[in-house]
Amino acid sequence: MIKLENISFDHCIKCTVCTIYCPVARATHLFPGPKQSGPDAERLRIKNPELVDASLKYCTNCKRCEIACPSDVKIAEIIQNAKWNYLKINRFRPRDWFMSRTDFVGSIATRLSLMTNFVLKLRAVRVFMYLLLRIPYRRAFPNYERSTFENMFRKKIAPSQRDYEKRVVYFHGCFVNYNDHSLGKDFVKVMNAMNYGVDIMKEKCCGVPLIANGYIEKARKNAVYNIKSLQRAEQGKRIVTTSSSCAYALKYEYSSFLKLNNSGIIERTDHSTRFISEEFSLGNVPKMKRLGIRAAYHSPCHLECMGGVMHTLNVLKMVPALDLVVLNSECCGIAGTYGFKNENYAISQSVGSRLFAMIDDAHPEFVITDCETCKMQIEMNTSYRVLHPVTVIAMALKEE
Amino acid sequence: MKYDALIIGGGLAGLTCGIRCAAAGLKTAILSGGMNSLHFSSGSIDLMGYDDEGELVKKPFDQVKKICRARRDHPYAKAGLATVKKAMEFFIETTSKTGLTMNHNGDMNHFHITGLGALKPTYLSQESVFSPRGHDILNSGEKIAVMNFSGFRDYYPEQTVAYLKKNRIFAGRDIVLAEISLPWYMDTQKNLHEFRSIDLARIFDTAKYLPRIAEEIRRAAGDAAAVSLPAFLGIKNYRTIRKRLEDMTGKFIYEIPTLPPSILGLRIDQALKESFIGYGGEFIANERAESGPVDSGLLEHVNTRNSGREPVSSKYYVLSTGSFFSGGLASNSQRITEPVFNFKVDADTKRSKWYSWFFFDAKSHPFLSYGVRTDKNFNPVNEKGNTVKNVFCAGAVLSGYDPVREGCGGGVAITSGFACAEKIIGELKK
Repeated sequence: MIKLENISFDHCIKCTVCTIYCPVARATHLFPGPKQSGPDAERLRIKNPELVDASLKYCTNCKRCEIACPSDVKIAEIIQNAKWNYLKINRFRPRDWFMSRTDFVGSIATRLSLMTNFVLKLRAVRVFMYLLLRIPYRRAFPNYERSTFENMFRKKIAPSQRDYEKRVVYFHGCFVNYNDHSLGKDFVKVMNAMNYGVDIMKEKCCGVPLIANGYIEKARKNAVYNIKSLQRAEQGKRIVTTSSSCAYALKYEYSSFLKLNNSGIIERTDHSTRFISEEFSLGNVPKMKRLGIRAAYHSPCHLECMGGVMHTLNVLKMVPALDLVVLNSECCGIAGTYGFKNENYAISQSVGSRLFAMIDDAHPEFVITDCETCKMQIEMNTSYRVLHPVTVIAMALKEE
Repeated sequence: MKYDALIIGGGLAGLTCGIRCAAAGLKTAILSGGMNSLHFSSGSIDLMGYDDEGELVKKPFDQVKKICRARRDHPYAKAGLATVKKAMEFFIETTSKTGLTMNHNGDMNHFHITGLGALKPTYLSQESVFSPRGHDILNSGEKIAVMNFSGFRDYYPEQTVAYLKKNRIFAGRDIVLAEISLPWYMDTQKNLHEFRSIDLARIFDTAKYLPRIAEEIRRAAGDAAAVSLPAFLGIKNYRTIRKRLEDMTGKFIYEIPTLPPSILGLRIDQALKESFIGYGGEFIANERAESGPVDSGLLEHVNTRNSGREPVSSKYYVLSTGSFFSGGLASNSQRITEPVFNFKVDADTKRSKWYSWFFFDAKSHPFLSYGVRTDKNFNPVNEKGNTVKNVFCAGAVLSGYDPVREGCGGGVAITSGFACAEKIIGELKK
């Protein structure tokens, strides 16, 4: 029987516009492109699930096909579903298992941070990882912090947050938790300057890497945990993230892909720049000094998908003396854990090459982007430091 | 957040309007839900192709002038001849700044050849479709060659030639029909017939295989002076690639659009978006306008798919959501509507009168000229019958013209987009 759950593929008029905008199809002919892998093949798969083909694994789930589609077909969703419903995946995948367990790996790595950071730079270790775990030798890894952001926040920051009447819940995500406390601190600084106190709730990885690697059950578990935990935040309190992909998962993928009820949080969850932009337009603009820097802005795929780019731009345009070059929208190629795999490394680099060239042409001092993995990819491939929009505001804040 | 100009719809009309606004220093954003119909277009801009009797128009501006006098409801009449001319100049200048040349034949129309081999009158074309040299060759009676890459399934040169021969210009002409093989392409495990125009355009864009292709073209074309290829000679680098192919073969290289996606149209789309972003405009993808309050005679804000609590607001709005295919107009079994703001539309109330029983009716289908009713300032009318002063309408969403029968879709989009931008700039100066 044909299930009528997602028949949006029937709206496909075969115009192939999605394939124009597919960064993977541009980089390799091994991927036949979203039209063929999505709506075209879906007809066949519905008839016979065995007609699924292995090229689906090349899809990065960047969702640019959905953005491009004139007929509103949920192309990426079709491909993701097909990938995990039909594709016979090898259960023994140690690399993918470790890579997608950001919480598990992160909590160990932060405990042993000195050693982890040292070891990950050793050539022998990298050769070992290349050969055994099939992780690209050249891929740069982020450093690990010495403790989790959560612990640090509870010890050092939480007490100072009690005085604020208005408060937001900060969903910090794994990257801030294990790899980059400074972004979390910047966020708190900016919120405080706008008279908001910051709370954090218990959270687990939002599930983006789990979904990307096919651990759907585990992703669903995490999602249920997060929804439950975030729902406990008082009514009316906004939930804010500094990671565009976390926001995308919390708001959209929990319901559309994992089929969970996230109605209790969807309306009040937002990416940080959207919250800040709304506050700015209400007149709640902190005092900022002239920054005097030139920066290039790269819009991450998942932010674009949420229509969030206008908020980030609105926020950045309010920063005095920030000379902003908005880059043409291009995928950076890393797509979360995708670019951390040997078999995808060349594609990932090739996808990003257009962006790297544009960045160089813009002659910036910094690059600005909302996404942590875009940041890793750009920092590895260009000579520029990458800042989060929130960090840019924090830099511009006038010291009291 | 408040914009000076918020443009709903990122097609030819919306982009032209956006570029003009952003270039004038206005805080401008374009909301775009899905890619525009340039991706399905010929890549030529039709200004006025046929007159009311269906006869070919030789001098498009003369016909525009006639229409300005005779048909007050036509978008050209609302804009006026002077604006039509200014808009076209603006468009040519804008595209050429990004490196895309749009050629015209002075004040005359020229022809472009469709995939089916029909000749269509048009005003602006890329140099692979119209240039003085190509014009001379096509009119000189010299031998031409029509080619395809073997295995490519989205274009059939046999069809092109068969229909071309029915036209008096090509009737007695010596036309070579040939296939050339694609270069062996390193990364591919694909069968050639799986390639779409975009895949091949990307291979061409790398410029790697040109000497081989040039060699094949020379061999297959013999002494033909001009060679037509399906239109995928590169995207961003197309001018240099085509130039090199011409130098290597010594022949004029012509491009014929294939089945979608249209690479000729894609080049225009990219040029316009690049220009818009270059002027500081914000192109917001994946954002569809869903509703907005217009009862007061002013549009207060726009609710979009992602806007949630905080709708998007602006001083002025432009509705350039296109026609039925793009969702700017909607129809059900009873009526035709404008689905976002429910503006009044000009359309027959009887469904049986919407279309002709003959699909290829020379008089065209009535629904093609349906659209949002606007006054002479391109302001629409809300449900209550009040003019909405801070909204302007542009492009295929407008009523009063038939893009197919008149051959004027591109020209109307550019003109009305430009005219709306001028009005907004004028209003803000006050």
